[in-house]
Amino acid sequence: MIDAAAKEFLEAPCSLIVGTVDDDGLPDATRAWAVDVEADGRLRVLLTANADVALANLRANGRIALTATDFVTLDSMQVKGHVTAVEPRTSADEVRFDSNWARCIAVLVDADLAAAEVIERFAPPGVVACVMVVEAIFDQTPGPAAGTRLAPTGIRS
Amino acid sequence: MSPRRQVTLYDIQSCFEGIIPAAIATASADGVPNVTHLSRVHLVDDDHVALSNQFFSKTVRNLAENPRACVEVIDPHTYDRYRMVLRYERTERRGPLFERLRRDIDAIAALTGMQDVFKLRSADVYRVVELELVPSAANLAEMRDAGPDGGRES
Repeated sequence: MIDAAAKEFLEAPCSLIVGTVDDDGLPDATRAWAVDVEADGRLRVLLTANADVALANLRANGRIALTATDFVTLDSMQVKGHVTAVEPRTSADEVRFDSNWARCIAVLVDADLAAAEVIERFAPPGVVACVMVVEAIFDQTPGPAAGTRLAPTGIRS
Repeated sequence: MSPRRQVTLYDIQSCFEGIIPAAIATASADGVPNVTHLSRVHLVDDDHVALSNQFFSKTVRNLAENPRACVEVIDPHTYDRYRMVLRYERTERRGPLFERLRRDIDAIAALTGMQDVFKLRSADVYRVVELELVPSAANLAEMRDAGPDGGRES
């Protein structure tokens, strides 16, 4: 379901926000810090380690939505699916986090959106990894077409 | 459990200036989450914020089924993150709040050349039922440096 263009978009430096829900239907919003599209199409998503509510929700029911937004153009993509595992970060995850964080800061500074020393304050106290199976992809770019399903079919969310 | 700091909506007024987009998570009646950016969250009073409703989006449809949302806002000066749990209370289609949000939407539309696309349908008002700082690494270091009394002298 994740084609080359979607993989490139998700793995590029961008704003990553995550929605989860508890078993009573209460939603939660948090941040992700890097996405890696694995060979089998699953996503390895690095989440804030102290996102207590989101992590509890994922362990309870696995339901997840992830939206990636280009910092400059605001082009956005939302992927929905379920998480099959929440795991401690690996050394490869740490490398991926460091690399993506540096690229995000570079994009934001180059676009004159913020100063590097202020952005540094945004860094999470740590990350954990989750493995996500993607079930649907949506165009989430702001505007009336937001929510248009890109895969597996062409209907609205 | 992560440490949490008590804050009020007025403590975080700069988060409502519309400089950094917020994030909103909602869920459908059958428990499927949706998450998207919001251009701006508007401060209404001590306990309420307002969100602009421009399109019949998935967020709007979810809130019609399940009137609870979680919003994350960012202070544009410090990059501190705040998590709010909201409960829908009412919709306004006229009056001072509606006009305030309409002016904001019109300004964004003019800046982006999308006057025919962005048009306010309603101002939706939510009670803030939870508000907390989501501590970054920098926040945690500052809390440690401040000590258990937050750095205040007795």
